Amino acid sequence: MAESRIFDLAVSPHIGSSQTTKRVMWDVVIALIPALIAAFWFFGPRALLLAGVSVGAAVLTEWLCLKFMKRPVNFAFDGSAVVTGLLLAYNVPAGVPWWLPVLGSAFAIAVAKQAFGGLGHNIVNPALLGRAFLMASFPVLMTAGWIAPMQWKDGERIDVQACGVPTAQLSESGELDALSGATPLNVLKQTFTWEGDPERSEEVRSMLFSRESLKNLFMGRIGGCIGETSVIMLLLGAIYLILRGVLELRLPLSYLGSVALFGWLFGGPGWLDGNALFHLLAGGVILGGFFMVTDMVTTPVTKKGRIIFGIGAGLLTMVIRRWGGYPEGCSYSILLMNLATPLIDRYTRPQSFGEVSSNG
Amino acid sequence: MSKVKSFAGGAHPPGNKGLSSGAAVVRLPAPEVVTVPLCQHLGAPSKPVVKPGDEVKRGSVIGEQNGFISLPTHSPVNGKVLRVENAPMPHMRSGPAVVIKTESEDGGEVYEPISDWKNADISLIINRIKEAGVCGMGGASFPTYVKLSPPEGVKIDTLIINGVECEPYLTADHRLMLERADDLITGMNILARVLGVSDPCIGIEVNKPDAIKLLEKKGARVVRLKVQYPQGAEKQLIDAAAGREVPAGGLPLNVGVVVQNAGTCVAVADAVCKGMPCIRRITTVSGLGVTSPGNFDVCVGTPVSTLIEAAGGYRGDVQRLISGGPMMGMAMFTDAAPATKGMSGILALTPDEVRDVAEGPCIRCGKCVDVCPLRLCASVIATASEYGKWEDAEKAGALNCMACGTCSYVCPAGRYLVHHIKRAQNEIRAIIRAREA
Repeated sequence: MAESRIFDLAVSPHIGSSQTTKRVMWDVVIALIPALIAAFWFFGPRALLLAGVSVGAAVLTEWLCLKFMKRPVNFAFDGSAVVTGLLLAYNVPAGVPWWLPVLGSAFAIAVAKQAFGGLGHNIVNPALLGRAFLMASFPVLMTAGWIAPMQWKDGERIDVQACGVPTAQLSESGELDALSGATPLNVLKQTFTWEGDPERSEEVRSMLFSRESLKNLFMGRIGGCIGETSVIMLLLGAIYLILRGVLELRLPLSYLGSVALFGWLFGGPGWLDGNALFHLLAGGVILGGFFMVTDMVTTPVTKKGRIIFGIGAGLLTMVIRRWGGYPEGCSYSILLMNLATPLIDRYTRPQSFGEVSSNG
Repeated sequence: MSKVKSFAGGAHPPGNKGLSSGAAVVRLPAPEVVTVPLCQHLGAPSKPVVKPGDEVKRGSVIGEQNGFISLPTHSPVNGKVLRVENAPMPHMRSGPAVVIKTESEDGGEVYEPISDWKNADISLIINRIKEAGVCGMGGASFPTYVKLSPPEGVKIDTLIINGVECEPYLTADHRLMLERADDLITGMNILARVLGVSDPCIGIEVNKPDAIKLLEKKGARVVRLKVQYPQGAEKQLIDAAAGREVPAGGLPLNVGVVVQNAGTCVAVADAVCKGMPCIRRITTVSGLGVTSPGNFDVCVGTPVSTLIEAAGGYRGDVQRLISGGPMMGMAMFTDAAPATKGMSGILALTPDEVRDVAEGPCIRCGKCVDVCPLRLCASVIATASEYGKWEDAEKAGALNCMACGTCSYVCPAGRYLVHHIKRAQNEIRAIIRAREA
């Protein structure tokens, strides 16, 4: 009788989908590229430089941490550090010095991610914690480094004014300094605090909400952080992720829906007169909604939990925009909801099949 | 045309059924030596009643039933017993088996056919199904007669025949429905009569339109089901076809339902109408690791290596040999193991087909939660299991898991979720036993 062959044993299932952690991460990187192209177009080569050093710092920090902890260093190349570095860069203004995103990325990886156990174990979104660290440590750099977007006309670069708000007029009011490149949300925030000049506030707001302004927001022809401004390019990336089966739509849709609803409810000076579309297009809501609210590690695993997370983050975003100390609340709202994730997961565990009937 | 039904959750692994779905069933003669396992069913193994040197007839009992959840075992051939020994088994390292030298494969000792089953005493029919050794042919191999003897006071009003065959690659039930449709319908009607059910139905996935058409033409009520894994899992099938949710930890009979596999119906028809004990079955041999995949009607006890030869032999680099489907089937270490009543397929898979990845950390993507047909949080249970927190695992519903493997299939981190959950189940059951003792 022929010698019979010994086959490998393994647990079922023996087949698996082609999706791997690495593929998910690199898909996210690919989906973030269009926004980087937009950043290059509007903010110049500096945007690329900052993104590059940020990614480099993130990967290097990851590698060093893994080496130091005697863990397999190939985790540094699974794409997750690249995503963190990119997102960190996307969350700083284009006018900051190069070492700022380097510091932010290193903090994001070393403290927010590796200190908690590395991939899959971090409690909050590393890129957003890195940004919060930079905001707390270098508030002036982080809020004054806005660069006005550039436009190209007849082969030459020309500066355009932030979302159609005439710069000269703003400076004239005496309340706003150095706003040549301010973000639309900055301008909106200030209109809420111009006491005694309601007409002026109304006028600026109507400019912000004008068709032209909204178009600029959609294209990205506004001041803002590197990767957050161009809605159309971010949406392009989001569509790619949906096609690749990476994006689960409950989180982005509940977040964007919540921002729109609460933006309309109290995003304006009074009640029920906010401009929902403006709030969706301005600031980091689109970047956050498709690339940070959707961070798998720090958001709930249950379906119901994801919807609660999105609604909560949207509500907090709008509360911060309207009454908080910052013009934009996207990143802090997500960080706060990240902390609530274990609780949300615990209370939204689905009733397993047949449990209802067995309990009567 | 009836509406296509389904359940919530699940995944869509590539079917790969085209490899063998067109191949008509080939009847393989019994090999020179058969190794008949004494435990082809769920429950206690049969007790051997033959010894080396004994002459046995095809259909004669070689192992007798040993308890309530047990079945007798029959010889598939006329021949002489060589040995009664422990042999390699497809679902375990080894188990008791009777090794018989084949002399011929005709005649033998079959039972008296119950041709008038429409009027025969029901206990007579149930007894026949028991003495013929019929068990679930879908893979779990639960003794069929036990399912037909519901406890006092339980009313069964629905009989669903499982022709779903949701496991990728497998086409044995598909071919059986096409080639033995009449016997299938007879078996279904016998089971319906035994259970007192008036309107049995057959659940079939819509990827088998020829089988649906044929069975409908012959007057069977077919429930069309969406192609979605695990559509053929008993609880999911009952949910889709009858709209009833079997209680956690309960049985289908708790909601008045009995499910029987299509192959079981044919075995029942053979046992009742022809008096033929369960000594053969139709099985698929497939995968890119065999030369010409096909479907074969084989004697139990036929070595897997003989099946592989019938399919043209191995081709290329075979990484894994599986008994059953790729989602729930068991990896076998040797092809010397014999075919059993419950063996729905043999797969020889190449490295291209097998997913063999290093287990990474959970990235909490929640895909396992999205797809679980039992609405469990697989990642939560698996993590509790990895840390030895058995109580947490139990609270998260570990015992409800049926190990369908959908969570592991979709997991991007390649976690062995089913393995971790099964381990938790073993530990929890041990704790419960200790508590009760």
